[in-house]
Amino acid sequence: MSETLITLERVCKLYQVGEENFTALNDVSLEVGNGAFMSFVGPSGSGKTTLLNLIGGLDRPTTGSVLFKGRRLENMSREELAAYRRENIGFIFQTYNLLPVYSVYENVLFPLILNGQKESQVRKRVEEMVAKVGLADQMNKKPAQLSGGQCQRVAIARALVKDPMLILADEPTANLDSENSRQILELMQELNHEYKAAVIFSTHDERVTRYIRREVRLEDGSISWDKRRNGTEIET
Amino acid sequence: MRDKARFLFPFTVVAVGVALVVALVGFMEGVFMGMIDMTANLDSGHLRLVNKAFYDEEHLRPLDRSLANQQETHDWLVKHSSMQVDWAPRIRWGAILDVPDEKGETRSQTPVMGMAMDLKSPNSREIERLRLKSSLVEGDLPKGFNEMLMGVQLAEVLGISVGQSVTLMGQSFDGGMVADNYQVSGLVRFGVSAMDKKMVLIDLVDAQNTFYMEDMVTDWLGYFPPSTDLDDYEELKESMRTGLADWIPHPKDWAKDDAPIILSIRDQQNIGAIMDKFRVIKGFVVGIFTFLMVLVLWNAGILSGIHRYGEMGLRLAFGEPHWRLILTLAIEGLWIGFLGSVAGSLVGGSFAWYLQEVGLNMGDSFAQSGLMINDVVRARVTTDGFVQGIVPGIFASVAGTLVASMAIFQRSEANLFRELEAG
Repeated sequence: MSETLITLERVCKLYQVGEENFTALNDVSLEVGNGAFMSFVGPSGSGKTTLLNLIGGLDRPTTGSVLFKGRRLENMSREELAAYRRENIGFIFQTYNLLPVYSVYENVLFPLILNGQKESQVRKRVEEMVAKVGLADQMNKKPAQLSGGQCQRVAIARALVKDPMLILADEPTANLDSENSRQILELMQELNHEYKAAVIFSTHDERVTRYIRREVRLEDGSISWDKRRNGTEIET
Repeated sequence: MRDKARFLFPFTVVAVGVALVVALVGFMEGVFMGMIDMTANLDSGHLRLVNKAFYDEEHLRPLDRSLANQQETHDWLVKHSSMQVDWAPRIRWGAILDVPDEKGETRSQTPVMGMAMDLKSPNSREIERLRLKSSLVEGDLPKGFNEMLMGVQLAEVLGISVGQSVTLMGQSFDGGMVADNYQVSGLVRFGVSAMDKKMVLIDLVDAQNTFYMEDMVTDWLGYFPPSTDLDDYEELKESMRTGLADWIPHPKDWAKDDAPIILSIRDQQNIGAIMDKFRVIKGFVVGIFTFLMVLVLWNAGILSGIHRYGEMGLRLAFGEPHWRLILTLAIEGLWIGFLGSVAGSLVGGSFAWYLQEVGLNMGDSFAQSGLMINDVVRARVTTDGFVQGIVPGIFASVAGTLVASMAIFQRSEANLFRELEAG
């Protein structure tokens, strides 16, 4: 069994909507191991994005705890959470969120610069990562000159370039056609295998479930089942 | 800079704002200093050595309170002031001017105020200083014995033409009555109504003969080169005051109760207060421009913030601390402010320099005014003008960016996923 990367202990998240409380997550407990390749699935409003927010240190639980390698995120200051994200988490978004004025190379370089690294020290790594996602010949192009699939490849390279322990991918295939989705998911699977970074998808896309090794289904803020590819299934 | 949409607009605002401030400050400074210099040239000097008793009753022109020992005084002034300062002796006098008819009987009379200055020495700069050649409407500058220049309106009132003789009747240095004949050699338009109606200029030596004032003058006026800082006048005045206290007992021909004093232009005719008000007005103008620039740049910052909303969210999500993001924006603002200010200074400074060298002829507008101001208005390019443009330019750019970036502080990370997906 792999070492635990993320632990959620009886996590609840309530939002105030007007005078009423809305329960986004209700008593969620979960463990994610190193190198996991899994997804949160469920309908809109089931709590997928809230769960990604909590794991990514973008939000705090109302009750319960989120632990990253045994460190409780709720005890961290805003600056510490920023450092946690900077050093450990890679993000992939449905709409890619590439910077339009930067080239492919510069977009991939961007998180390393935020980490305080100098371009001269990381140039080779950035070029390797761009090549790894199959865009070596598009290095100097701007996002506007790329297709949706190519943009998502840049986003994957950007998420992986700083060698994070965890990648959070929110609906990464939602804007792509079947062929591009397949290519992206195969690429992510390959990179997960090669780089050992855990990947957590949040998705509606049934196609994603064919590639992942674990599927956690959320309904109304609770885990309805947690299914693993090896046949283990935990119903709650 | 690569993102032209977010660079060009704030850069242009700063450049235009700074150019306007630099040009406007240069123009205001030029017009104001032109008036100050005109007043100094005609009347007060930048510095003035005068007997206190004369100064206190200046309106009566008490010639018995004049300063003696012309050469010794001049030597002392040169020694104790700056090499840059040119010292000019003058006599302010008042008299009745009598115009005779063909039979020698009085045709008309009027009181006049007069100034005597060195109009005949080849190295005198007084003619150039008062622009007498260009102000001559008719006739010539005094060259011979007992010749005078007269204000053009005074000549009209008295019905005098060039070449005609007039008689000055006044009081001598020792209190006696004097009468002396002068020939009007030229008519002058000073451009100042009061002077055109009442002013008569004669040569210093002629005045000393007429009023029995051998080796005496009422004033020594000191002139700095143009563009000297006003504060330099005060500094030199203070240092000369100290020297004056040690020197006062020495000139042997001075009366016992003589008390020469050093004044700057600020001390005379309420000019100090006017200068202070001018500085306040200038401050207001610069302040208003800065405020407007901040306002526009703030909006530019907000527009840029909207334009870069995704980028900011991404940077926060990727773990860039809020303070570092704001610092980055402030540095961007600083660069834009700096580059805009440099560009604005070049444009505004060039325009001000052009107005300084070529000037703007406003003779038609000033012809009927009583302002002591040259017909050709010139700007004045000063370091202060650039500072007053560049500092607010940079400040406005940084402040505008910071005001706009306040939203970043309030941006909650919890919404970033939603916002980024929406964006």
